Amino acid sequence: MRSAVLAALSATTLVLAGCGSGSSSSSGGEVRLRMIESLTSPDRTKLIKSLLADFEKANPGVKVELVSPPLDSADQKITQILQTGKGLDVLEVRDHTAKSFANNGWLAELPTTAWPGWAELTPLAQKKAVEVGGKPYLIPYGFYQRALFYRTDWGMSAPPATWQELYEAARKMTGDGRYGYSFRGGKGGADYAVQMISAYNGEALDPEKSFYLKDKRTIFSTPQAAQALELFVKIFKEASPPDSVSWGYPEMVQGFASGVTGMLIQDPEVIKTVEESGLRNWSTAPIPKGPTGYAFQPVGYAGWGVTSFTRHKAEATKLVQFLSEPAQSIRFAKGNSLIPIAKRAQSDPQFSQGAWKAYLEAQQDPKQVITIRPVDYPGWSQFLVDSDRDVQSLLTGKTTVAEVLKSWDAFWTDQARKVGE
Amino acid sequence: MRRLAKTAVLAAWLLITVFPLYWILVTSLKPKSEIFSMPLRYWPSRVTFEHYRELFEFADFGTYLVNSLLVSLAAAAAVTAIGVLGGYTLARFSFPGRGALMLAFLVTQMIPLFIALGPLYLLMSDLDLLNRLAGLMLVYVAMLVPFSTVIMRGFYERIPVALEEAAQVDGASRLAAMVRVVIPVMLPGIAATYIFAFVQCWNELFLAITFIDSEDAKTIPVAMNSFITQYDIDWGSMAAATVVSVIPTLVMFAAIRRYIVEGLTAGAVKG
Amino acid sequence: MSVSARPAFTPRKALFVALCLLPGVAFVALFTYWPMVRGSVMAFQRYNLFDLTETPFVGLENFRAVLAEPRFWTALRNTGTWVGVSLALQFLLGFGLALLLRRHFRGRGLYQAWVFFPWAMSGFLIGLLWRWMFNGQFGVINDLLLKAGVIEERIGFLATPGWAMTSVIIANVWYGVTFFAIMIMAALQSVPRELYEAAAVDGASKVRQFWHVTLPHIRPTLTLIVLLRIIWILNFPDLIYSMTGGGPAGGTDIVTTFLIQQVTGGDYGRAGAVGLLVLGLLLAFAIFYLTVTRSDETSR
Repeated sequence: MRSAVLAALSATTLVLAGCGSGSSSSSGGEVRLRMIESLTSPDRTKLIKSLLADFEKANPGVKVELVSPPLDSADQKITQILQTGKGLDVLEVRDHTAKSFANNGWLAELPTTAWPGWAELTPLAQKKAVEVGGKPYLIPYGFYQRALFYRTDWGMSAPPATWQELYEAARKMTGDGRYGYSFRGGKGGADYAVQMISAYNGEALDPEKSFYLKDKRTIFSTPQAAQALELFVKIFKEASPPDSVSWGYPEMVQGFASGVTGMLIQDPEVIKTVEESGLRNWSTAPIPKGPTGYAFQPVGYAGWGVTSFTRHKAEATKLVQFLSEPAQSIRFAKGNSLIPIAKRAQSDPQFSQGAWKAYLEAQQDPKQVITIRPVDYPGWSQFLVDSDRDVQSLLTGKTTVAEVLKSWDAFWTDQARKVGE
Repeated sequence: MRRLAKTAVLAAWLLITVFPLYWILVTSLKPKSEIFSMPLRYWPSRVTFEHYRELFEFADFGTYLVNSLLVSLAAAAAVTAIGVLGGYTLARFSFPGRGALMLAFLVTQMIPLFIALGPLYLLMSDLDLLNRLAGLMLVYVAMLVPFSTVIMRGFYERIPVALEEAAQVDGASRLAAMVRVVIPVMLPGIAATYIFAFVQCWNELFLAITFIDSEDAKTIPVAMNSFITQYDIDWGSMAAATVVSVIPTLVMFAAIRRYIVEGLTAGAVKG
Repeated sequence: MSVSARPAFTPRKALFVALCLLPGVAFVALFTYWPMVRGSVMAFQRYNLFDLTETPFVGLENFRAVLAEPRFWTALRNTGTWVGVSLALQFLLGFGLALLLRRHFRGRGLYQAWVFFPWAMSGFLIGLLWRWMFNGQFGVINDLLLKAGVIEERIGFLATPGWAMTSVIIANVWYGVTFFAIMIMAALQSVPRELYEAAAVDGASKVRQFWHVTLPHIRPTLTLIVLLRIIWILNFPDLIYSMTGGGPAGGTDIVTTFLIQQVTGGDYGRAGAVGLLVLGLLLAFAIFYLTVTRSDETSR
């Protein structure tokens, strides 16, 4: 016993003295880049790693270390690293982090027309690349847009076109351990409430600042907003699993893929998940509309950027450009089922057939409107956290529709004043 | 009758304790398709080690295991050594600031970790200790020093001063007396402190996920935290990882269980 | 305290003491107190990660913002329930278990090895384990209750505010009974056998022995481990964090998970304010608790 303890004491101290990780910059003429991703998942990480291997092959003397933090704290981790101003060269920038990263001076400007690949990007990709401050802080790698996923074998002849129809259809499906709708009451749930409220406000909404109406009031101030939110609660109470009050992304997708729920509204990457789950009888449709026939949603995006403090700017930029070239970006978009950034992909059958048809259909419908959310307002990240809690309180009966709308209205009215609108 | 009641209660408690562990074991042995299927199976239709294989083949769990072991063994050793020294002085000397020091140690237990995490991250970055096992070890030592010092003090106070004095009379220095006479008597306490510190380091999550993100320096909790992905908590791998990660602590615990109970008597009675 | 008088203090001894204490003090000062002080300073600054271009001092603004937040007060109330109920159940069950395990019986060693097992696991793992068991669809607890006929349809345990708190407390009790059992067993073994023998000679019953010999003897230990446990339950939110993340609707939020949310939200200023408030509360409580238990002891 005694000798064992003493041995452990001395041995481990010795071993530790000689170990540490050698993950710092260049050694022996070799450039080491450190890259971090945000929307992590095992499959995606594998895909990125294989793309990086190709990059390393094409650029001898450059090695890339990929850091893949867990999804739920990834952006916080990225912010933390950026704050130290070292140890990072290439990073994933998301639509809602782009502004703050740029504001803090952490992102380097990337070349646009000077880079041959620029001309290969779709107009949307070019537009989003320079969305923050008019400067190219990132190259998007793909777009997210929601569609309705539904079971075709649960007695529904056609997908619901409006939220009211969705509610009725979902109610019919509910029973026998099955539920009509994969509700999201947990993290990110408020976004769905906002989506319904937007649809109910219809034409009055200002798509360029989607939390406001064209007359500058907030979308939460109208009687239509109350109607929408009432229905939102009804869909939860009458047609969704009780558990879904705390469902976030994984649970709602799992709920649909495992046959517990009959409808789901989600991004295209779910196509892959559902296909792999072995579910057969399902299809997709554009997201439901409001009473006046409008549906609104932002187009989500994320992309690759270079840090302002990198010591290997040339190589880091080269890597971002490599990932954004059509061959790689289409591979990435296919692997994650994203709306691609390459012009060339528009003729690719994979992005126009089967489950993807809903997205094409939505793109061609003038009443399916793409919006821009006020992500650059100072209170945006605060609202993300607060509004999810408000939604949960609403679903569990701790507060009322009127109170929630009142507080959201007050919040965004105040925000408008802060940015001087 | 009383014996019967006692046995029944003990059996019930055993069941309550063991069932969740049984359930995690069963989950880890189920094929993927069976984890999310109705009706629930209480034993897999086919026992599979696919989740374990995945851990070591794809997730590089072997590296994490080694990292966790290195950090925990070393940090626990350092903490115990510091406790042996510090506890001795606190038990045997009265000096100005002694009370304040004890209080300062007690207060560390009340500091919410998260208030210090941001600044600590910057400090670690300045010291170039991010993504290094040695850096993580240093933070763990700091985290556990108050505990080890105070508990060691308790052990010392249980040993008669006469023992050392006898040694000192023989001409040995204070340090020599401590090493030759006191420490052997203290071994059970030292072992208990060591194991306790080891388990704390082995299980620590929040500091590790803050300071480590390089693959080659990840510890087991960091890796397990990564299993919570956007798509789904992969319950199969999670269960397998849980089973693997409790084995070392279980072995340690079983090996010196007797010392723990004995050791903590001393440490806790005085405090 | 040791029986004999402490040796007189000389410069030589002072050096020895200083050298022995140096490593420990250095570690704690550098890696605990220094970051804490900096974090506390942030409590008085506008310090938001998402905009660090300016970090002016704003006085008590962060504290006001936190105290005006209804969620903080909900979290505070929940903290009371969480700590109070968990502690009471852990203590009672742990005490019972320790008493049952006091006497030697065949297989006691093996039994202890199994029953003490949760102690080896982390709060993070235990949270995940119970989250899986309490799952509203595929959870084994729903399945067992259905089979036993206790319930007729599945309960969304972690989805309903009342049930969620009950669930996390169950998990916490499961986890913490072991700690008390080990500690109390240790304390029980420290009671000198002669005391019992003397009591037995006086004809005291088992129950009286317990009240008049055992309890007074282990009281100081109990006082201390209860205090430590309170601090631990409150300050280590990993179980709640991995089990419910504080949801649903803040139903299982305690002050420390609330603090994590402030950090995750990137607002280090507010996080600092919450942290200082928690620290202040704990300090005040510890002082109160120690004063009460001490005066209790001396009055005996």
